[in-house]
Amino acid sequence: MSYEEIHESIEVITFFEQGKLHPLRFKWQGEVYKISRVNSSWSVQEGLSRQYHFSVTANTPDCFELVFDTADFNWKLARVYLEG
Amino acid sequence: MSPRLSQSPSQPLSVNPPVWEHQVETTRPKTILHIDADAFFASVEQGFVPALRHRPVIVGGTEDQRGVVHTASYDARKQGVYTGMPLRQAKKMVPDAVFLKGDFEHYKAVSQIFENIYYQFTPVIEMTSLDDAYLDLTGTLKVHGKTPAELARIIQQKVYRAVGVTVSCGVGSAKFIARIASGVNKPNGITSVAAGTELEFLRPLPVEELPGIGPRARESLHQLGVFTISELAVVPKAVLMQRFGVNGRKFWEFANGTDSREIKQRDLPKQISRETGFEEDVSDQELVFEVLHYLTERIGKKLREDGLVAKTVSIKVEYSDHKRTIKARSLPESTASTDAIFRMVSTLLRETPLRRLRVHRVGLAVSKIDCLNLQAELFTETSRRETIEATMDKIRQRFGFTSIMPASQINLQKHYRMEKSGYVLHAPALTR
Repeated sequence: MSYEEIHESIEVITFFEQGKLHPLRFKWQGEVYKISRVNSSWSVQEGLSRQYHFSVTANTPDCFELVFDTADFNWKLARVYLEG
Repeated sequence: MSPRLSQSPSQPLSVNPPVWEHQVETTRPKTILHIDADAFFASVEQGFVPALRHRPVIVGGTEDQRGVVHTASYDARKQGVYTGMPLRQAKKMVPDAVFLKGDFEHYKAVSQIFENIYYQFTPVIEMTSLDDAYLDLTGTLKVHGKTPAELARIIQQKVYRAVGVTVSCGVGSAKFIARIASGVNKPNGITSVAAGTELEFLRPLPVEELPGIGPRARESLHQLGVFTISELAVVPKAVLMQRFGVNGRKFWEFANGTDSREIKQRDLPKQISRETGFEEDVSDQELVFEVLHYLTERIGKKLREDGLVAKTVSIKVEYSDHKRTIKARSLPESTASTDAIFRMVSTLLRETPLRRLRVHRVGLAVSKIDCLNLQAELFTETSRRETIEATMDKIRQRFGFTSIMPASQINLQKHYRMEKSGYVLHAPALTR
């Protein structure tokens, strides 16, 4: 297993429920990934904004770390953990 | 029980002293729970990314970087990797290990989750580090109606469900008993030492299990023919004090099952330090200077955030031959001012004898730390600088650390990735 640092902006379909975020799908480099499981999440205060980090598993064996920043309501793909 | 008051307002108040609940209970043995996360940094990464579980994970830097292992998962430890081992050596030893730089902000956030869980069980908590805490359960056991071991199991489950990290727990009547007990059954274990059985538990253990006994003290005790705690317990206190000073008395007390230390909700750190290496050894003095300035900014912010001041500043410069130069000096007065600390750093750096070698690593530490004295001097030049720094702190609090930076640190962008929370320094990236 290895990982790659990406830090690229991505598009994410998100479901907001009772103050919680649920990323459902994301599009990276033209490909759509359906999130099958949110493994874990944590958040950090960065000035007035907050960054939410999600570890998600999509319809591939790989695992992705997505980051949502409330400063600009932007999603980023921080890194990819690659199987094999 | 409340104090008895006289019924009539005309009569003087009864002078019977009040008897408070907690005074009655002081004779009851304490119940201290020590909780220690197992291979914390590596476990946090494994908890966050399940694909990393049951794989050797090494936190400290990527495999092609220079630097040392900060934390190795238990799978990596089984294959011989230990904290402090060079990353490249670890790669040779465990080629299939996953090497991670680590993210201090992530670990801090997880530690906060730990703390929130602990507060569900007692208000008396001492967080001694991000992954290590003492809980005084003496006053809350009845409320929960469970044994300490049962509470420890519930805490373990809550922590694992929240962040996927396993913790080991030790229960005892004193801090050091609980601490030793938590290390007995790792990972994810619980060890309880019932009140009255402390000496029985301690006797067979080697002396280095006691807090404060490091490799030097251990060697010294071995020279005396003292190997186990039972042997240490019978050495006269005076002999230990002669050999180890005040620590000798502590060793004797610990060996005889005594520990008067209370759970402190907040303890002053002895030292705050930040250090980093370079991607490649550098000969650029300006870069060394800028990195030290940046580290000073981080330390100044930490001091002010925590309401602390420091008196002694020390810098460390490690060269490509791994020889180090360390210089330290005290400031005229304790301070939390980045500017005052950096002026001392500059002086120390100027006085550091130049070697014709490249610089491998630099570090900065402040010590003799105290709480901020609110009666600071008035009408001094420092108060103007403190105002500037306080304003910078406010801006950073609102917009992130890198929203306002000294111009001298802009060049660092060429060498490090800048995030809102600061530069991502080279291994260990845990210096943020």
